Amino acid sequence: MAHEVRTPPLQPAAVAAGQAAAGRSAVDWIDVALEALWHALTSMRVAMVLMIALAVLCVAGSLVLQVPTGMGDDPSTRSQWLDSVRPRFGGWTAVLVYAPNVLTLAIGIGLLCLAIVRFLDDGEFVGLGLAGLAIGAIGGIALATDGIGLFNAFNSLLFRVLVAALTISLIACSVHRIPGAWRTATKPRVDVGPGFFEHAPQRETIVAHAPAPEALERLSSVLRKRHYRTLVQDDGTVHLYADRYRFMAFASLAGHISLVLILLGAIIGTSWGYKNQYFVVPEGSTVLTGTAAGLSLKLIDFTDSYNTTNGAPSDYTSQVVLLKDGQQVAAQTIRVNEPLTYDGSTYYQRAFGPAVVLTVKDAAGATVYSEGMPLDGSSTDGSDRRAGTLTLPGTGDTINVFATNGTSDSTIQPGQVQAVLYSSGASAASDAKVLDQGKPQPLGRYTVTFDREAKYTVLSISRDPGQYLVWLGALLLFVGFTLVFLLPQRRVWARISSRGAMTVLSMASLGRRDAALGTDFEDLVTDIRAALQSPAEA
Amino acid sequence: MEKLSWYFVIASILWTVMATVLYLGYALSGLRATRMRTAGMETTTPAVGFMTGPRTAGIGSYATIVGWLAVVTLSFALVFRAIATGHGPFQNMYEFSLAFALGVLVSYMYFERKYHQRVLALIAMPVALVMMLYAWTIPSTIEPLVPALQNNLLLTVHVAVAIVAYGSFAIAFGAALLYLVQPDGGRWGLPKPQVLDEIGYRAVVVGYPFLTLTIILGAVWANTAWGTYWSWDPKETASLVTWLIYGAYLHARVVRGWRGQRAALLLVLGFAAVLFTYFGNLFFGGLHSYSGLT
Ligand code: HEM
Repeated sequence: MAHEVRTPPLQPAAVAAGQAAAGRSAVDWIDVALEALWHALTSMRVAMVLMIALAVLCVAGSLVLQVPTGMGDDPSTRSQWLDSVRPRFGGWTAVLVYAPNVLTLAIGIGLLCLAIVRFLDDGEFVGLGLAGLAIGAIGGIALATDGIGLFNAFNSLLFRVLVAALTISLIACSVHRIPGAWRTATKPRVDVGPGFFEHAPQRETIVAHAPAPEALERLSSVLRKRHYRTLVQDDGTVHLYADRYRFMAFASLAGHISLVLILLGAIIGTSWGYKNQYFVVPEGSTVLTGTAAGLSLKLIDFTDSYNTTNGAPSDYTSQVVLLKDGQQVAAQTIRVNEPLTYDGSTYYQRAFGPAVVLTVKDAAGATVYSEGMPLDGSSTDGSDRRAGTLTLPGTGDTINVFATNGTSDSTIQPGQVQAVLYSSGASAASDAKVLDQGKPQPLGRYTVTFDREAKYTVLSISRDPGQYLVWLGALLLFVGFTLVFLLPQRRVWARISSRGAMTVLSMASLGRRDAALGTDFEDLVTDIRAALQSPAEA
Repeated sequence: MEKLSWYFVIASILWTVMATVLYLGYALSGLRATRMRTAGMETTTPAVGFMTGPRTAGIGSYATIVGWLAVVTLSFALVFRAIATGHGPFQNMYEFSLAFALGVLVSYMYFERKYHQRVLALIAMPVALVMMLYAWTIPSTIEPLVPALQNNLLLTVHVAVAIVAYGSFAIAFGAALLYLVQPDGGRWGLPKPQVLDEIGYRAVVVGYPFLTLTIILGAVWANTAWGTYWSWDPKETASLVTWLIYGAYLHARVVRGWRGQRAALLLVLGFAAVLFTYFGNLFFGGLHSYSGLT
């Protein structure tokens, strides 16, 4: 197939470029440039270079510490984070930040220089020049804007440009190959001309004693027995074309297009999806999920179990119900490999921790708060206590709650928590108490009760409308390429001419992909030889 | 069962050592035969297909038998281990290394049957042996599975598919190495370069779909366990890199200029990426931190 569909290289245009550069109009130049662009996009070499460049960038990215997601996009958090790792990387920090972009810029400039040399040489320079300009520009822009380089490899400008270029190249290649593939499958050339039988990668000539029609009949029957389709054309010389798995070029196309689907799915997912990696719910509490109006999740119970032998975790389970405007719509026990899916959003078990159930009453004795609160932070005073913050509805007053870290804590004993009240807006605490379980205590103008200890679960919520496209692409990718490898397209041409009483049969094939097709061809020829010399004949 | 499995591992190591020695003897006898041929002696070459080489058939077939014995004992070792643990060989590096070794052995035996190039064993057997010896040096204790790994079927298939891919790539690597060490036109009774070129390609053709499937199944698992099918975890990234390199290799085959030498270099690079992917979790941690070595 590639024989027919490969674009001719730009030699004619290039020679013309040298000879008639002076006489060119602007339109001609645009023409030449576009042609060079198309040539580059459909070139397998360019595709290979892009793949390898992407591979190199990925390796670098997996070796270098990556900035946490979200922090790399904003210049100030970015430089803050860089400062925090600078002690670890020392002088290498700058290298890791600038190296890929400087390298890209240098490659661009190098290609431009080469293009200039070629230009002076009257050679083909348009493609090189454009490539140099594009690569140099990307390097320059990345250098000016990026500022974090390999520390953010998978979100860097360079990475995006490489993925985009590969995608565009994939689309261009596929579009480029469709007409040829279609022609090959539906209207293949039967008469390929005598020269083909002298130069094809695989060729064989058989001289038979049978007359031409009989030779053709026997040849066709061998091919049919091997499930080839045969097409014959007779213009004095008999031309035969035979192929097998003629639609496999489309499997290869499907495999390539599937990559575009996967990327599209990923883009849809990041643009229109929803992701909350840290959705905290204490036992007994109900929290709005944020995925749909009025939808909330209640944690009935969280259990973490451990293996008695080594103390390693064996299971985490969150028993939850989903409520839509107070009505239960779903209930499930979520485990690590058993997420809950409702209405396109999925809830995954992610982490857990200790919580306390508090009751807070105001001066009038009305309950302001009576729920679990997660102790999902730690105190900043160095004592490493578990800590959580509760903002009281209505007033904006906050209560910080601390639990002991378990080891020789002089103020908070196990089974106790400390509550510290901050009036709205104040930076200094207005009251602090150590609470025993079940005993109400005054705290500022409130009365606080530490009801009991509990657990909180951390779920991650994700809605990814792009994932269906990703899975479809993955399926297509696997099926497409597996089919191509399992049932490779085979094509043979034959030419039968009479020479006196003899018949000369020339056969040829394009076994370009691998020698196995070559062996196949040899087998075929052996069969055909046998058929032509069968004893019935003699 | 655990003990029994261990005895079978020892047996496999011994068989593999023995097979390596026999294959080496076979290759050396071939070297002598080649020298005799260059000195003008007659040898037989089949008319069609690949040259099988004028070697002492006896040693070769013993080597093959011993190779199969290694496959059988190692398979038993893994089966008994699976019975003992109740799951596929994906919990720690010990199990996975044995599976890798089995992948290499099986791929080799398959390619030997198909192409009769026993010299390839000189690379394949030592690779399998090193994997088994490596397994020997690391802890093999059976621990209960952490929650994320309690997805038995998916993970077993994920690993089974991965070792087929890795095994095939090891064969491609062997073919590429043999291709690269000999000068143009072939030497030392090694298989002809174009035969090696083809074996390399065939091995990638087997391995590539399996690697693709490995990555896809990994993504499916990540999606059920963590809610993201891709998170640029180092092991994921490394397998993507491997996949890209073999992708580049397959295109190199379509572009004629890239046949032979440069294609072989890509195969060596590809196998380096396989090893990087395989040992990656030792260096990086990341989500695949199941190595059991810390
Ligand atoms: C990540 C990107 C890509 C991957 C993973 C990939 C994968 C593959 C695979 C596995 C094959 C072998 C199947 C076969 O022999 O038909 C193949 C063949 C091919 N690819 Fe790609 N490809 C990629 C990008 C591209 C691009 C950008 C181009 C355009 C330059 C391209 C053009 C081709 C062509 C022309 C063939 C040969 C088709 C044939 O044999 O008829 N591929 N590709």
